[in-house]
Amino acid sequence: MATVEYAGKSFEVDEDGFLQRFEDWCPEWVDYVKESEGIKELTEGHQKVIDFLQDYYKKNGIAPMVRILSKVTGYKLKQIYELFPSGPGKGACKMAGLPKPTGCV
Amino acid sequence: MAFISSGYNPDKPMEDRITDIGPRKFDEFLPPVIKKNFGEWDYHEILEPGILVHVAKSGDKVYTIRCGGARLMTTSHIREMLEIADKHCGGHLRFTTRNNVEFMVDDEAKMKALKEDLASRKFAGGSNKFPIGGTGAGITNIVHTQGWVHCHTPATDASGPVKAVMDDCYEHFTSMDLPAPLRISLACCLNMCGAVHASDIGLVGIHRKPPIIDHSVLDNVCEIPLAVSACPLGAIKPTKTELQGEKVNTVAVNENRCMYCGNCYTMCPALPLADKEGDGIAIMVGGKISNRISEPKFSKVVVAYVPNEPPRWPTLTKTVKNIVEVYSKNARKYERLGDWAERIGWEKFFELTGIPFTHHCIDDFRDPAYYTWRQSTQFKFTSHVK
Ligand code: HEM
Ligand code: HEM
Ligand code: SF4
Ligand code: SF4
Repeated sequence: MATVEYAGKSFEVDEDGFLQRFEDWCPEWVDYVKESEGIKELTEGHQKVIDFLQDYYKKNGIAPMVRILSKVTGYKLKQIYELFPSGPGKGACKMAGLPKPTGCV
Repeated sequence: MAFISSGYNPDKPMEDRITDIGPRKFDEFLPPVIKKNFGEWDYHEILEPGILVHVAKSGDKVYTIRCGGARLMTTSHIREMLEIADKHCGGHLRFTTRNNVEFMVDDEAKMKALKEDLASRKFAGGSNKFPIGGTGAGITNIVHTQGWVHCHTPATDASGPVKAVMDDCYEHFTSMDLPAPLRISLACCLNMCGAVHASDIGLVGIHRKPPIIDHSVLDNVCEIPLAVSACPLGAIKPTKTELQGEKVNTVAVNENRCMYCGNCYTMCPALPLADKEGDGIAIMVGGKISNRISEPKFSKVVVAYVPNEPPRWPTLTKTVKNIVEVYSKNARKYERLGDWAERIGWEKFFELTGIPFTHHCIDDFRDPAYYTWRQSTQFKFTSHVK
């Protein structure tokens, strides 16, 4: 398990760069990750997706299905990829501090 | 080694990005004789084990030599195939749906030279690099999976047991002496990647112990509701536990309900269950996917467990070989293994093969289990039922 130091904060991450604890999430985390996820400037759209993922995770204990993410945010999958080039799992969930997606991905 | 850029710019990852171009179109790679006679084939013959000839309405012929492939192969091995293809086949070759490799030529003399060349190539350890066979009523390649080479959920290896079983069944790869083709497949866990559920003989890695729960990280690395709903038997429930004076969210596994499928581990890295002594292989038989005479069938479990015995899996290979030989001796021409077992009755299958029948093979999963029991007075007295 590696530890990342950024902007005076430290984050424990796994080999794929996912946060080990959701509680460690803070805005600095997003700032730190965005570069490696191919994002230059954080926009309102990015924030909307991240906020929804966090909200859903806190309420339900899981990440939302892609269809639910689209339906609630109003972004089609194509638009989500425009915001997060690595996609909703590797990109958006990582930035939102959710656990790494599992299963036969 | 020094970093060598492909031209990709990590500062502008979306610049010059090519996407959604799909695979190359298959007809770019067709040998000329295939391209010319596409859709105009008249008939084919199997000349000898591993060698086919297809005759087109134009009179053109294409000779195909099928060679066993280990599926997992190095670029050096692929280069050697390309060298062969360049030398004999105008640079063309193809891989089959069972991961054999086929070299095609357009006349008989070329076929003979190719055959001689292929048969002469061996690895330093002595194994044939390009064994010719896999056609007709024999045993062709084993469709298999990742095993301990790459996956994180296996209960057995794939490449190892496949090499051991093919070594033992090699004579049936290079001949066509069975009543019908016999397909063997292997999957290293119950996910059953591949074809085990629909093969004449299916080998599947299984566990025999419940998962170990890592309470210290579970809530951080798993989405608990996913682990709960991953269980086919409802053996998992969310719970809280004390850990170093702190209450943490975690799960509890009812071990009397768990059948060790490992689905919960697939969804949750904090529930590992692989175990050296516990893990092994279940053997299934009687599946097929073709519609020839009888409808497609699922394979059925006949040996609930054989131990993992790396590197050669002797119990496994002996059991498989025995099933093959008993089927070969008793089945009628064109009868797939499942057709034969269903005709003679499963009690006769167990008697002839000498496989001890155990209660583990009796289905106990939900309502459909009932349909696998015998609701008839029709049965034969055997060594199992006296
Ligand atoms: C009317 C034309 C054709 C008919 C009726 C036909 C029929 C068959 C039959 C009955 C088999 C099963 C043989 C066995 O399992 O031993 C077979 C397998 C096969 N044929 Fe043909 N065939 C035709 C054309 C072709 C052509 C043009 C090619 C390519 C050059 C081809 C390539 C193959 C291959 C690769 C298999 C083995 C598939 C596998 O087991 O993975 N066939 N064919
Ligand atoms: C003139 C047409 C065809 C003839 C005469 C023919 C004949 C056969 C025969 C005799 C077998 C061996 C079946 C067994 O032993 O259980 C076979 C296997 C097979 N055929 Fe065909 N076939 C034809 C067309 C096709 C077509 C159009 C497809 C695909 C769309 C196809 C796919 C297959 C496959 C995948 C197998 C292997 C089945 C297995 O592994 O059990 N065949 N075919
Ligand atoms: S069968 Fe199971 S262990 Fe084997 S490759 Fe598939 S998922 Fe992995
Ligand atoms: S191993 Fe399978 S049966 Fe056992 S608890 Fe996990 S999901 Fe349920």
